[in-house]
Amino acid sequence: MSAATATPHGARATTARPGPAFGRVVAAEGTKLLSLRSPWWAAAVTVVVAGVITYLSAEASSVDPGFEPLDSLSTGLALAHLGPLVLGVLVGAGEFRTGASRTTFTLVPRRWPVLAAQVLVTAAFALGTAVLATAASVLGILPSAASRGITVDLTSDDTPGLVLGMVLFLVALALFGLALGALLRRTVPALVTGLLVVVILPVVLTTAGDPLVSGADPASTGLAGPPTTVLGTLAVLSPGGAAQLMTTSASAGPMSGTPDLGPVGGGLVFAAWVLVVLVAAAVRLRARDVR
Amino acid sequence: MIEVEALTKRYGSTTAVDGLTFTAPPGTVTGFLGPNGAGKSTTMRVVVGLERPTSGTATIHGRRYADLPAPLHAVGVMLDARSVHPGRTAYKHLLAMAQTHGISKARVREVIAQTGLEPAAHRRAGTFSLGMGQRLGIAGALLGDPATLILDEPVNGLDPDGVLWVRRLVRDLAAEGRTVLLSSHLMHELALCADRVVIIGRGRLLADAPVKEIVERSERAGTVRVRTPDPEPLTRELVASGAQVTPQEGGVLHVRGASVDDVGTAARRCGATVLELGTESGSLEEAYLQLTGDAVEYRAADARGGAR
Amino acid sequence: MTTVLPESRAPQRASRGAPRRTGPTLWRVLAAERTKLTSVRANTWLVLGTVVAAAGTAYGLGMFVRPDDGRSGSWVVTSGFVLAQLGFLVLGALVGTAEHTTGTARTTFTAVPRRLPVLGAQALVAATTALVTAVLALGASYVATAVAPLADAPALDLSVPGASRALLGFALASVAVTLLGLGLGALLRRPAAALVTGVVLAIVSDQLLAANPSRFTDTVRSLLPSAGARLTQDDAALAALDAATRGPQLGVWGGGVVVGAWVLVVLAAAAYRLRRHDVR
Repeated sequence: MSAATATPHGARATTARPGPAFGRVVAAEGTKLLSLRSPWWAAAVTVVVAGVITYLSAEASSVDPGFEPLDSLSTGLALAHLGPLVLGVLVGAGEFRTGASRTTFTLVPRRWPVLAAQVLVTAAFALGTAVLATAASVLGILPSAASRGITVDLTSDDTPGLVLGMVLFLVALALFGLALGALLRRTVPALVTGLLVVVILPVVLTTAGDPLVSGADPASTGLAGPPTTVLGTLAVLSPGGAAQLMTTSASAGPMSGTPDLGPVGGGLVFAAWVLVVLVAAAVRLRARDVR
Repeated sequence: MIEVEALTKRYGSTTAVDGLTFTAPPGTVTGFLGPNGAGKSTTMRVVVGLERPTSGTATIHGRRYADLPAPLHAVGVMLDARSVHPGRTAYKHLLAMAQTHGISKARVREVIAQTGLEPAAHRRAGTFSLGMGQRLGIAGALLGDPATLILDEPVNGLDPDGVLWVRRLVRDLAAEGRTVLLSSHLMHELALCADRVVIIGRGRLLADAPVKEIVERSERAGTVRVRTPDPEPLTRELVASGAQVTPQEGGVLHVRGASVDDVGTAARRCGATVLELGTESGSLEEAYLQLTGDAVEYRAADARGGAR
Repeated sequence: MTTVLPESRAPQRASRGAPRRTGPTLWRVLAAERTKLTSVRANTWLVLGTVVAAAGTAYGLGMFVRPDDGRSGSWVVTSGFVLAQLGFLVLGALVGTAEHTTGTARTTFTAVPRRLPVLGAQALVAATTALVTAVLALGASYVATAVAPLADAPALDLSVPGASRALLGFALASVAVTLLGLGLGALLRRPAAALVTGVVLAIVSDQLLAANPSRFTDTVRSLLPSAGARLTQDDAALAALDAATRGPQLGVWGGGVVVGAWVLVVLAAAAYRLRRHDVR
């Protein structure tokens, strides 16, 4: 009998075989994400919706005399951003909803590397989706620009910043969804919270700040706004409002009644929200039992 | 009485059940056997109308399940113990089922007592162990006091106490003249409680016969086993008389084509000492493995065939 | 653990097919669905959350109403709808998908193999729950805005033209959104898909189109389920809406008709899928 096989099993297991290194956890999470159907669906819908809505919106505005194609660039994202949000929620909550967490956290008992790996993997997947969705948005404005004989120059002024903001906006929404899913551990509550905060809260705040009767033409609402209102401040500091600022041009200036954070400021506020929820999820993961 | 005739169910290009015909008669426990993905669960789901057959028919008391006037009273069904909202208590789950047929609360409490669920009746089903979930499923099947029962893996996850209880329960139900169709992977269990078995593989019928008959088909059945310190002379003697002898370990010979009497006589003729002599009995498990040997197909890639 | 053997029951043969053993009727299925809805604690929390959200929003929005901005007392009381509709949508979607996500469908549809009575009963039970929730939400909104001192918000005055209709409309719109969620849930069978579709149809699309006002977008807006929110407005607000739109003017009940048509179409699609497709 050789010396190698005579070594006790326990000793061999602890010395020769490395455990779940972070790189491996990332690889495992990547496999999990890509092997499901729902992320691919969410990504495809995001890209298609971004392109189609931007195209329709640019077509609709192209009849206006002062038509500027780049103004329509981010309109598709107003609907398409739900895709990354849902994607994040499904990844974050899916682990717990399906019971896969029992497998995952017995393999990686320290747990937090799983969350960190999910953040990385989701960010990477969302980045790919976001780049495609932004490209689809650019394609969406080209036909109407061509019909008016306007050339689209993505390198001029603050357009590169806008494009970058659009990409980061979609990635950040995916991470926000992931954090909510990991914190609440169930799809429906996480999704409802996400929709509430990102979609409905801005609507409520707009309704409140709207000086006319609710639902009236918002184009005419910004006529006589006071410099900075409580509501306006709340609106840009809320996750949805801050995130939306990322898809505006730096030179656009603030909406009436809101402090001028600009796209960078909005991005930072939203990043802070994402971080807060992620930390809460990590704390819950460390401190609470996994079912 | 459950009658399945030329039943075929396809999902796209996958054929889950392929021209299956069998009958589960009243007053008997019919075991339903087959490897994973053989089409057992699909057949049961078609029988109770959850899925439509691609072709063929499945009837209960001569009627399609969906045409039964009072399905719960005609057929008790347990397809999957996890057919319960995890947020609902066992009592409320059964009550909601009962209400669809105007069954009284007293009857709900009766089946809860009968299945030993009393201590857990007001706990949310999401907190149940596998065995408790299984008891809840059986309670649901018994609720309407039905003449036919369809139970998919009823002893799965039960403790020995519970296994014994299910065995007695299905025997008693059959003795009362009811039809019981029961699938299981536990061969010993089925051998003990089923009167006849239907074995399928890849959606096709492999055997439909009384348990005893299936067991006798086992290769080992009818083999004589003899242990002797003198295997060589005994083998020569037996082969000369036309029997087939397969030597085993420890001086044991398996003899086919000769009775116990023949082997004993042959041993005396050649002077071999016999330490042990008897017939091997076949088992349902062996017969099953031989029947399904080439029909085993683990359809891991086929998401639709397995339980989702 | 006690394992009681089946006791000697009534003679088997005699009881089989006897008249007392009757099958599912709509009334019985209704009772079963009511038990199902009330026995899940999450639904209770959802109803309470919706009431609180409606009242909280009404109070919050009421703080910003000024006497000169044309908002009536009924506007303040029904303004919680913007947030509460999400609760109604979730309620409907949960009732519609719960069967399929939890596997209860196997139990339910073996007990009621004709299936459609289950969908009908779910619609009735969900609509009733939505109605009760809406009435509670209106009451809570009224109390919240009446008791707490809101600087300039007008008090609820039912003599304002359309004010009482707006209160009734709040309940009707709530029921409609709930049924839309139920239909989408039963049709798509996945809560995430049903919720996102519902939110897009009932809220997001309208916001998106409002950002690009034109004859075309205003026409589309008037044909979306979000038009149901018009039911919560009084006469003056509706007139303002109709004056602002470049699309068709829906008038008093037009929004209700639009959302009602959506509910019917989605429920019919759900019924078709339930009838024709396998249940897992």
